Amino acid sequence: MTAAVTEVAVTGVGVVLPGLNEPGGLPHGPVAGAAPVDPAALIGKKGLRFKDRATQLGLCMAKAALTDAGLLGPRGLLVPGDRVGVVVSSNLGNADTVCRAVATIAEENTGALSPMDTPNASSNIIASEIAIRFGLRGPNLTVCNGVTSGLDALRWARLTLRSGRADHMVVAGVEPDNDITRRLTGARMVDGGAAVVVGRTDAVGAAGPRLLLGPSLRTEKLPDCAARLADAASGPARDAAAGLWLGAGPSAVPPGAESADLSGWGECSGALGLLQCATAVAWADSGRTEPVYALLGGADGEASGTVWTPPERAV
Amino acid sequence: MSFPITGIGAVTSIGDDPDEIFTSLCEGRSGLGPLRGFDAERFTARQLFEIDDRTGDGDEPGRATRFLVEAVRQAVADAGLPDDLGGIPVLVGTGLRELRSLELWWRDGAPFTADGLDFGPALRRRFGAYDAHTFAGACSASLYALALGWDMLEQGETDTVIVAGCDTVTESMFGLADRVQFDPPALVRPFDRERQGTILGEGAAAIVLRREPAAGRPVRGWLRSVAVNCDAYHQTAPDADGVRASIEQAQAAAGSRPEDIDLVVLHATGTPLNDRTEAEVVAEVFDGARPAFTGIKALTGHTSGSAGLMSLIVALRSVESGRVPPIANLTDPLPEGEGLRLVSDRPLTTPVRVAQVNGFGFGGVNAVAIVAGAA
Repeated sequence: MTAAVTEVAVTGVGVVLPGLNEPGGLPHGPVAGAAPVDPAALIGKKGLRFKDRATQLGLCMAKAALTDAGLLGPRGLLVPGDRVGVVVSSNLGNADTVCRAVATIAEENTGALSPMDTPNASSNIIASEIAIRFGLRGPNLTVCNGVTSGLDALRWARLTLRSGRADHMVVAGVEPDNDITRRLTGARMVDGGAAVVVGRTDAVGAAGPRLLLGPSLRTEKLPDCAARLADAASGPARDAAAGLWLGAGPSAVPPGAESADLSGWGECSGALGLLQCATAVAWADSGRTEPVYALLGGADGEASGTVWTPPERAV
Repeated sequence: MSFPITGIGAVTSIGDDPDEIFTSLCEGRSGLGPLRGFDAERFTARQLFEIDDRTGDGDEPGRATRFLVEAVRQAVADAGLPDDLGGIPVLVGTGLRELRSLELWWRDGAPFTADGLDFGPALRRRFGAYDAHTFAGACSASLYALALGWDMLEQGETDTVIVAGCDTVTESMFGLADRVQFDPPALVRPFDRERQGTILGEGAAAIVLRREPAAGRPVRGWLRSVAVNCDAYHQTAPDADGVRASIEQAQAAAGSRPEDIDLVVLHATGTPLNDRTEAEVVAEVFDGARPAFTGIKALTGHTSGSAGLMSLIVALRSVESGRVPPIANLTDPLPEGEGLRLVSDRPLTTPVRVAQVNGFGFGGVNAVAIVAGAA
């Protein structure tokens, strides 16, 4: 089976959640009694000091996804680093550093600040630290786009790959849980997330495709996005009932279709789109061949959506 | 391939639109002033390049959004686009988003919700834009957004895209820099032997980029290429190899040799290490070629997220007018830049057909754009 045009596919996945490190368990919801993720236990203590929580979690999931994609071995990257880029989706990653700093200045002065916090004041810290740790010299992006960020990050990764700026992109969605993020969102945060590696199917060193990424849709309202997604499916998948719907309200899921609910993991914000994608990879890995429809959007706000297809269905 | 730029807009401490900013640069007017939004007693450094728009005492939230909306409004009007942008993508590069509003919420209890961190909701309210995207990318953010805009046109995803950048100064960023800068600079002195560091500034810039020129509308210049990469080297220090690779990629993609380039608008922040690295790399890349080199940060400050696009708009004005503003506060060039044709003292009058724009950021995120006049 050869595609006429270069496709973009997920080739690796990494899940970093309390009590869960593989995508298959995502639809079952949180693991009872699980302790918070311990990054040092996952990737070792070296290099974690002074990094904020979101960056530590991001490094863990990037390592897991790169390893799963066969791009990272015990001695480092197995493909040229200038052809591998990074997209991180995070809305609240450095909110704690920023708020703590401004409170310290108000209570004392700048002399009381820790200089080690300096890099964390910049919102692109997670993506740049992933690049530094694994030697990824391709395009390096941080998407902070509210509720749709995770699916948007995948959109930009796919665009960057199709335009030839890179062969592989690590796409990570991560949000930390702390007092500041809880007060800001009014909810317990996911304190973790997921990463995938997406690549051009013609790229050197690419593992077998696990899930094909379709084009992205953007609409003014969430229900329009759901309707257009159902229409966008082609061929045998035209019957939208045969598939998995993620992020759609019950009324938007076509009768007979399956759906999964990831809301039990806490407020996921920028991590949600990547948790959806990881769920879709598990769906395809389990042998399901029907497409996965993913949606993100606020009640009255704009929405992003896409269709992911298990590779067996690709024509 | 090249794409026409059909509208431009910008605001900084030295001007409320691109014309005023360009005139200020040519006349050497600086936006440096005493701290307006922070309590000066708590900082060693006491100066910033702020936009003087606050209405009361102390600081107020939402200013990055305000500057962005104004720059986009200008660019949209310049391009003759409808005021309701609908599905036209708006890509915003920023270093610090609305983190200043987050700070005022945490410290003073100013009203704020998490969805106010990015610019999507404000662009939706003001322009009806529902395909708006906020990218956080340190000091090259707006040129990174420009690269994505290029890709969208090239891949046929849109016929028109608006690319913007904006930043105010956050107290956390200013304060953390202040913590490690014991002897703050009195001036920003890009590429000067006596440079002592950079000073942050505020601003926003926006352009409208199209696949084809619009009938009956002027073209402000042509975008020939944008290259982006990452040093993967250090959080704050630059790496010559990464910087060089981004310049070479941009020139190759544009089909421009070093000798084809008439003007380079440098990143030139006035920090000792960054300027040295940039000078070494451009001296090597342009060895044998003689472009003019300039930079704007001595007068605008380092405007972070908007800096790259601001430099690009200045490059377009130089292409159009044949005038290159000087690097202010440059009296004694750094040794690594001695062979470079650095514009200083007064504007240089010279034909500019092709210009290169450099943007290099925290975390080693490099971006280089090449623009040209009428083909």
